[in-house]
Amino acid sequence: MGELASYRLSDFILFSETVYYRQFELYNQAIWPLHTVAILFSLLIGYALWKMPVWAGRVMSGLLVVAWLWVAWEFLYQRFQQIHVVAEYYALGFVLQAGLLVWDGVIKNCLTRCSTSQLRIMTGAMALFVALVLYPFTPFMTGRNGLQFEMFAITPDPTVLATLAILFIYKAPKVLYVIPVIWVIVSGMTLFIIQ
Amino acid sequence: MNDQHNQSRRRFLKLMAFGASGLAVPRFSQAGTASFINKPIPSSHERLPVIGLGSSRTFNVGNDPFGLDNVAEVMRYFFNAGGKLIDSSPMYGSSQTAIGYGLKKLAKTKAVFSADKVWTWEHDEGGPAQMEQSRQYWQVDTLDLMQVHNLVAWQQHLQTLARMKQQGQIRYVGVTTSHGRRHEELEQIMKTEPLDFVQFSYNILDREVEARLLPLAAKRDIAVIVNRPFQRGELIDALKDKPLPDWAKTIDCKSWPQFLLKFVVSHPAVTCAIPATTRVTHLQENMAAGFAPMPDAAMRARMIDYVEKIL
Repeated sequence: MGELASYRLSDFILFSETVYYRQFELYNQAIWPLHTVAILFSLLIGYALWKMPVWAGRVMSGLLVVAWLWVAWEFLYQRFQQIHVVAEYYALGFVLQAGLLVWDGVIKNCLTRCSTSQLRIMTGAMALFVALVLYPFTPFMTGRNGLQFEMFAITPDPTVLATLAILFIYKAPKVLYVIPVIWVIVSGMTLFIIQ
Repeated sequence: MNDQHNQSRRRFLKLMAFGASGLAVPRFSQAGTASFINKPIPSSHERLPVIGLGSSRTFNVGNDPFGLDNVAEVMRYFFNAGGKLIDSSPMYGSSQTAIGYGLKKLAKTKAVFSADKVWTWEHDEGGPAQMEQSRQYWQVDTLDLMQVHNLVAWQQHLQTLARMKQQGQIRYVGVTTSHGRRHEELEQIMKTEPLDFVQFSYNILDREVEARLLPLAAKRDIAVIVNRPFQRGELIDALKDKPLPDWAKTIDCKSWPQFLLKFVVSHPAVTCAIPATTRVTHLQENMAAGFAPMPDAAMRARMIDYVEKIL
């Protein structure tokens, strides 16, 4: 396995930008109209954060679990795997994160105490707004085909961003940050390499 | 020691002269137009066109119907222009399945010279299983050339490949590297293992292989496939706004890709180069580099000098 050291990340990114975004287009066409469920998820999270009912932490965690598992299976494993040989490992990471969210968020109900820092809450809220509302419009802003949109609970990047935003608003266990932060780095480098 | 050195030097110079003379004479088809230059595989004397087709990145289109049809279209022009060797790897995502789709669509499963790779650390059962999977993706009866990708578990895979060659499951055995990695180890393998092919990166700026690997390949009768002749497109990007020298016309170069490819395939020890593309127009440009006249040694030196000066 020493040979692995001779590889760089760019050696594994063996697809073009066109093919990468085309995956989203084909995926969106294939799963339509499940996007309406994703919108419902976003509304529920918005409502839970706004009203802060007692069930908010557990329900949001549960929604995140479903989102991470769906993205792992349907996007990363079933679709992204076709063009990216390491996507199955990404999928495993997403499943692991779903497991952590089940344990800390649903079973231990850790997402109950909001941060006391106003700055932190505002930053988290803005990131959540970007993930849930603005992110699907990025193709229009960048001149790509509108069908190549990415949505929370449907594709990885907005799902990870929304998760980080929620963790940031709450006093979440640090272990829940690890995989999302790794994903931000991996995804950022991937986008940098293909552009 | 000196005698030995002189003997191998003489042999290499002889090969250079032989190769250059073979390239300098244009061969003509019955129709009277210049035909594509072919070079022999030293171990069998089977001839291969000097321009092949790579599939890294470009053919990895998933199950996108438009992407698959585009791959088939590129392949159609490749075969029509006289191309034969297509190279792929399990590492290239869905490239193998895209090639298989194209071959089936164009009815070229028998015409292609299929060059694939084994790329797994699981060498016991994993290697043969992966190669069989690759063959099915290509939709061919047998794969012509099987190479050990990036020297991964090469000791074990080469044993398997030797056995498969003996049993007629493949026709040729090779090893590959890219980006100039692990050349010392590759040199040792070339010296000690019975290889038909070797594949590495070579282009007008990255010429490290000229010193040892290319002469060694010639000496050991190993065919050479060159990957990354354009440094994955970076060379073309860097040169596209620079003027092509007037004297490039003397070797029929009308574009930078042709200039760069003619430089690579005119090396006597190089059997073929495998540029990759998603565009038919680029493919046509690349294929045009496979025709005579080719640069001789003096012209090759001039080409290097010019490119190094303007970059």
